[in-house]
Amino acid sequence: MTRVLVPLAILEGESVSTGLPTLLATMDVTVLGYHVLPEQTPPDQARLQYEDRATGALVDLEAAFDAAGGSADHRLVFTHDRDRTVERIADDTAADAYAITGTTGPVDRLLVTLTGDVAVDRLTSFVTELIGDREIGVTLLLATDDEPRGRTVLERAVASLAEHGIDIEPELAVDEPPLEALLAAAAGHDAIVMGEQAPSLRSFLLGEDAERIAAESVGPVLVVREHRNETEVE
Amino acid sequence: MSDQSSVGGTNVEGESPQIEPTIETDEATITDDAELERTLGLTGGLAIGIGTMIGAGIFVFPGLAAGRAGPAAAGSFAIGALVALLVALPASELATAMPKSGGGYYYISRGLGTLPGAVVGLSLWFGLVFATAFYLVGFGYYAVDTLAELGVTVGDGLVIPLALLFGAGFTVLNITGTENAAKLQNGIVALLLSILAVFLGYGGLDAVGLIGDPSTPEQFAPFGAMPVLTTAALVFTSYLGFAQVATVAGEMRDPGRNLPLAMVGSVLIVGVLYVAAIFVSTSAFGSERLATFGETAMVEVGRHYFGSIGAVAIVFGGLLATMSSANASVLSTSRAIYAVSKDALLPRRASHINLRYGTPHVALGMAGGPILALVATGRVELLAEVASFLHLITYGLLCVALLALRRADPAWYDPDFRVPGYPIVPVLGALASFALLAFMQPVSQLVGIAIMLVTAGWYAYYGRDVRLKGAIE
Repeated sequence: MTRVLVPLAILEGESVSTGLPTLLATMDVTVLGYHVLPEQTPPDQARLQYEDRATGALVDLEAAFDAAGGSADHRLVFTHDRDRTVERIADDTAADAYAITGTTGPVDRLLVTLTGDVAVDRLTSFVTELIGDREIGVTLLLATDDEPRGRTVLERAVASLAEHGIDIEPELAVDEPPLEALLAAAAGHDAIVMGEQAPSLRSFLLGEDAERIAAESVGPVLVVREHRNETEVE
Repeated sequence: MSDQSSVGGTNVEGESPQIEPTIETDEATITDDAELERTLGLTGGLAIGIGTMIGAGIFVFPGLAAGRAGPAAAGSFAIGALVALLVALPASELATAMPKSGGGYYYISRGLGTLPGAVVGLSLWFGLVFATAFYLVGFGYYAVDTLAELGVTVGDGLVIPLALLFGAGFTVLNITGTENAAKLQNGIVALLLSILAVFLGYGGLDAVGLIGDPSTPEQFAPFGAMPVLTTAALVFTSYLGFAQVATVAGEMRDPGRNLPLAMVGSVLIVGVLYVAAIFVSTSAFGSERLATFGETAMVEVGRHYFGSIGAVAIVFGGLLATMSSANASVLSTSRAIYAVSKDALLPRRASHINLRYGTPHVALGMAGGPILALVATGRVELLAEVASFLHLITYGLLCVALLALRRADPAWYDPDFRVPGYPIVPVLGALASFALLAFMQPVSQLVGIAIMLVTAGWYAYYGRDVRLKGAIE
């Protein structure tokens, strides 16, 4: 089964919108409640004070995912470093993707972007499993400077999704800035699926692409993780 | 020896120690319902150790120490380093066996029982308060010198007011500040080490006569051996930082490796720097003249070698170093109070976290208040010695706790790092720590003993039914 990690700043009131549990009903979900502490505060000290409240909130969320027909568990972590915690729990639970929660109602149409240095096969098999036998349409977007190659990649991905009877609309954006192309396409879609980009200087300076996209597109973003072990084998 | 079923009990208010089973991994501590991320690496650990120590040894003590012991003050610092090392090794073993926040207090309460634990835990609180006050007074001297270098001469009358102002400022910043200062601390320590490497490297070459004018040879120990030992007791305050690494043991990644490296490494690094700094500064001026420069003697040494640029660099370094020492100690103090309050030896309220800032404001206040009161006394040497006294008691008992635990060998005791040369190193560590107490001024000894008696009295009133021996989470 495929696992999606949903990290939430649980004590700061972060929660999931109604559409997300429904979208993830076909997945195993781990809700990661984290609380970031200033360095003056030992994590254990915060645990003593906040554990019960945080656990209560997490159990409620778990129930929301279960009610939507999925299967969820939770982890609660007190930390000084959010990114390290998300990374560790994702490795620990062997999560295939993580979700940046946005606001959405029922999801009818997904935008899947193949732009950049991503493992297309992983993305398509994730999308196939996510959709299952539901009526969710997909727009496949690829922004590239190399039109012939982009067309080949796109056609292969369309073929592999069409096999499963998914309604697909390919979209090739040539010579457009990738991020702008994605945000332009995002309108009319309820959620975005993307690959985890290799950390580049740009994302280091401007924040992870996924988080910028989530901030601009409002809807949830599912980021499919690269599996280090698998990429070695490939 | 320890009977798990008898662990716990309640204090006078009916609160029990919060003891829960946990699983320790290299990346996190896992309790029943939650996980605590380990986020500090080796660099962070070394920065806490070195950052806490370096302010005092290099930037405050050289003049005072040289005045007391002559060039042999270098020997006093070497003795201090040796004692610190003899304690850092057993402390490393205990820390890898119990990688918890709380440091020395935790090991002693679990190894020797509640009474020694309570005395040490509360004495450490006061010890850190005295140490922080001492760093702040040092900071005050550098602040006045900074103004002097900028052309504003205000005189030493402003030392204490400035120290008070910044002490209050640090406390408020720690309560309200949510930015991570850890990276800043790492940068400050790296900058200080670079300044000192250049300065001591050049000065060292000059002092041994390879460059510059040959300096006048001076009798190594003009006042004999005794002042070397009493000076060692005084300057031991310069070595208090390594155990502060243990107060964040619960937050350190791969504790089995990083804790021993950070504790022993920081003692070795600052020990070498201290001895070199004394050697260089007594070669520059001769100890008698050096002593007349007082707390900020290093500024004159900087001027001697590099002119006004050297003086500015040292003044700037001194400001940063005393500031980082004071700040790191305030944080350790708050963690020390938390560890004791978690075990029901202080009211639970003391470890309450502020809702608005997420910081332990009660504990930080319990650190900051007494610190300001002590800064107001302005007695540098007394503050330093009482701080050392209370820490040395902890260090000695910590070695005893190691011996007790090794003999009892309870099932939970499984350190990743084992002290080399057992049992000689911990026995020597305990003897050396207690012996150093004997060389302090009587007034420091009296204040230290009085504080310990008060803490024992508090234990008898407040927590005598709390049982902590062998209470491992």
